[in-house]
Amino acid sequence: MKRRLFLATSLASLGLAGCGQIKNSLTYGPFRGALLSTQKLNYAVIGTHGLAREYTDADVDRNFRVNGFDTPSDDLYTRLTNGGFRDYRLVVDGLVERPQRLSLAELRAAGNQTQITRHDCVEGWSAIGKWQGVPLATIVAMAKPKANARYVLFHCFDRDQSGQPYYESLDLHQAAHPQTVLALDLNDKPLDPDHGAPVRLKIPTQLGYKSAKWVSRVELVADLGGTFGGTGGYWEDQGYEWYAGI
Amino acid sequence: MVGERVYRHTVTARTTHWVWALAILVLVMSGLQIFNAAPYLDASDKSNPQRRVLAFGAQMQGGQPVGTTTIFGHTIRTTHLFGYTDDGMGGEAERAFPAWLTLPGPQSLADGRLWHLFFAWALFIAYVAYVFDAALRGTLREWILRPSDLPKLLPMQLYYLRLRPEPPPHGTYNPLQKAAYTIVLLAFFPLLIITGLALSPGVDAAVPWLTWVLGGRQFARTWHFTLMAFLVGYFATHLVLVLSTGVWNNMRSMITGWYALKKYDGVGP
Repeated sequence: MKRRLFLATSLASLGLAGCGQIKNSLTYGPFRGALLSTQKLNYAVIGTHGLAREYTDADVDRNFRVNGFDTPSDDLYTRLTNGGFRDYRLVVDGLVERPQRLSLAELRAAGNQTQITRHDCVEGWSAIGKWQGVPLATIVAMAKPKANARYVLFHCFDRDQSGQPYYESLDLHQAAHPQTVLALDLNDKPLDPDHGAPVRLKIPTQLGYKSAKWVSRVELVADLGGTFGGTGGYWEDQGYEWYAGI
Repeated sequence: MVGERVYRHTVTARTTHWVWALAILVLVMSGLQIFNAAPYLDASDKSNPQRRVLAFGAQMQGGQPVGTTTIFGHTIRTTHLFGYTDDGMGGEAERAFPAWLTLPGPQSLADGRLWHLFFAWALFIAYVAYVFDAALRGTLREWILRPSDLPKLLPMQLYYLRLRPEPPPHGTYNPLQKAAYTIVLLAFFPLLIITGLALSPGVDAAVPWLTWVLGGRQFARTWHFTLMAFLVGYFATHLVLVLSTGVWNNMRSMITGWYALKKYDGVGP
């Protein structure tokens, strides 16, 4: 019975795919709910198991492809860049016992992990970079999350053409993965502005849009519904999956 | 009075046939949508233009936009078909595959992915249900290719080409049908699912040997696309055969299960 219903709805949606209005109601209505349910299935099956493949220096793309939004050019970011990011502080707050304001020196002192991993873009291309930074788990632990904290939100300096800020999120499982790092260096040099200076997220077990550039603030929250579009990220608000492991 | 009929397809076979017919249509069209976001294929792990086997593009030539397809370094003009194609809004634009071939709608990587991953599950579930059902009922034995079928492949092909008066003796399915069903069902379907999974960073971390065995992530993408192209070729052949060997009888057997062995001509044998 369920299969027939599924078949009928699928056929109907296919037949109507050309008609804008009806297509939208299917794309954003119950049909979309069904489509999004596979995201939960994918996360349940694949989850955060294993480690992304690590490569050697010989595999690294020296001119790592620049993608995403334009490099921020607002007053605050320009001032930080001109000052060599000496005034930059990574804010860690939200549902935490001990909020943090960490300078780049403090971030470097907190831990140092090097990974040469492949960056897989949702568009389909891949590039290999050498990332150095501090594991996200270390920073989250420093702030002592409260018992009701479930997600880590990343607020960023960059904005789209209409002024919407970029943001991303991970749950605590994904945040605790040993290869999830706040990167400070790319290919043995401090991150340059185009690659997300001074701090960006690098999570090689998920698609590139999760690896937010230009991170200014890490906020622990109980749910994602209250921030911007409510789906946990800029691209998620545009319809992309929140779980980007597939 | 009607001609002799046989019950050819079980309810599971018929249902799963139509589920994956729909699923494959959506998967191909949403797959082309996803492909359009990076319209090239490399035989490598990371993207590498030196190892590019297929690329689509558009450029200006004499003031006119021209669509191009580059296969193993050889470029041909494919304006309107590939590279510079229908944008779904009454015009043309730089896009590998035309809007009428992509789902859902002209350009949406996010929705294309959602449709693709949903129908991938539909295909997978229907596939597993069919193979288990066929194995348990024994119908799998009717179409699986055996070593003893191999010498009959050429005579059967000759019969199809009308170079032989009689087909070689066979059971429910002839040796070429068995070869096609065995390759598609036991090689293409699993390989399409496996090469698709190998594209996912989460799967690559959980099962690292999978992407490696296929030659890396971009190579897995190339395999996935190539298998799709073969499957589309199989589907075209399948359609020609369905249409040319009694379309109503074939359709009836795939909807009701009953297949007429011969038509009653009113005169008797």
